[in-house]
Amino acid sequence: MNKKISFTPLIMATAVLGIALAASFIFRRPHTFHGAVIDPPLPVTDFTLQTANDVSFRLSDAKGKIVLLFFGYTSCPDVCPVTLATFKQVHERLGEDAQKIAFVMITADPDRDTPDKVAEYTARFNPEFIGLSGSLTDLEPIWKELGVFVEKQDTGSAAGYLVSHTASVYVIDQDGNLLMTFPYGTSATDMADDLIQLLKQSNKK
Amino acid sequence: MKNKALIIVLLLTTLFASACGSSSGKLTIRDAWARPASAGENGAAYFIIENGTASDDTLLSVNSDIAAAAEVHMSMMDGNGVMSMQMQEALNIPASGKVEFKAGGLHVMFVGLIRDLKVGDTITLTLNFKSAGGVVIEVPVTEP
Repeated sequence: MNKKISFTPLIMATAVLGIALAASFIFRRPHTFHGAVIDPPLPVTDFTLQTANDVSFRLSDAKGKIVLLFFGYTSCPDVCPVTLATFKQVHERLGEDAQKIAFVMITADPDRDTPDKVAEYTARFNPEFIGLSGSLTDLEPIWKELGVFVEKQDTGSAAGYLVSHTASVYVIDQDGNLLMTFPYGTSATDMADDLIQLLKQSNKK
Repeated sequence: MKNKALIIVLLLTTLFASACGSSSGKLTIRDAWARPASAGENGAAYFIIENGTASDDTLLSVNSDIAAAAEVHMSMMDGNGVMSMQMQEALNIPASGKVEFKAGGLHVMFVGLIRDLKVGDTITLTLNFKSAGGVVIEVPVTEP
């Protein structure tokens, strides 16, 4: 009789401890990234393109910042504005941390997109966004290295040709390595979550 | 007692179901919006077409005075993440069904906007259907 009574608090204490342990394990579980992580990260060859007023932009200029990069074209009415609108929401969600990210769009249509045109297009979403163009000779190696498919497509549209292009978003780390890609349609919440986690990890280093 | 309550619940459910069904007998357009864009650029508009009639209809064309041309396109992504747009010549709207235009899918593409589309503006579109004829809709310009 006496033995039983003395055991009850012990069992309860063990149970409480067990639950606490389980909870701490669950909450300390590593962040699961929404994007596709590239492990090990792939170094991206430095490149130079042009933004508004023919000002040059080198990828290495963004060193120290995470680069959020996508490829599109300014005649694109649907997919490209969707991605830029997502970028805008990511920027808003990050608050001050947005300063640690460079938001970049590179054209997939250099024949029609001058640097000014791309820069004007991205600025409509956020003046801090960087819009880039250049010659085909400058652009092709970048597309190739990141596995970006670009093809002109004649659809009979009054817009002339349209451009089929890879619509993923690329994440390049502070040292110029490709770290992650987001498929088209990833929400701003998911992108911001991953970026916050990446910023946390780089602070620890 | 229990049976009575059950019958009442069933009756109410049936009533609600019939009230919510799209048995309007008409073709209707709802939830229309257009994306902000600048003059000279291309733009896009989205809506849901509900065909409450008992027969299929076809969207043949779209007219608008805000752009050089208005076309129906479908954005499609392949298994490699490559996005393409395909122009839709005639879009089937099934009987008692609906077709949803949405970002990254079906959309009206404005080619060569004559004026800026700013948040708060309203534009007018005419959707030309084979059976329903011309349907004029007011489309607000909003942020997605």
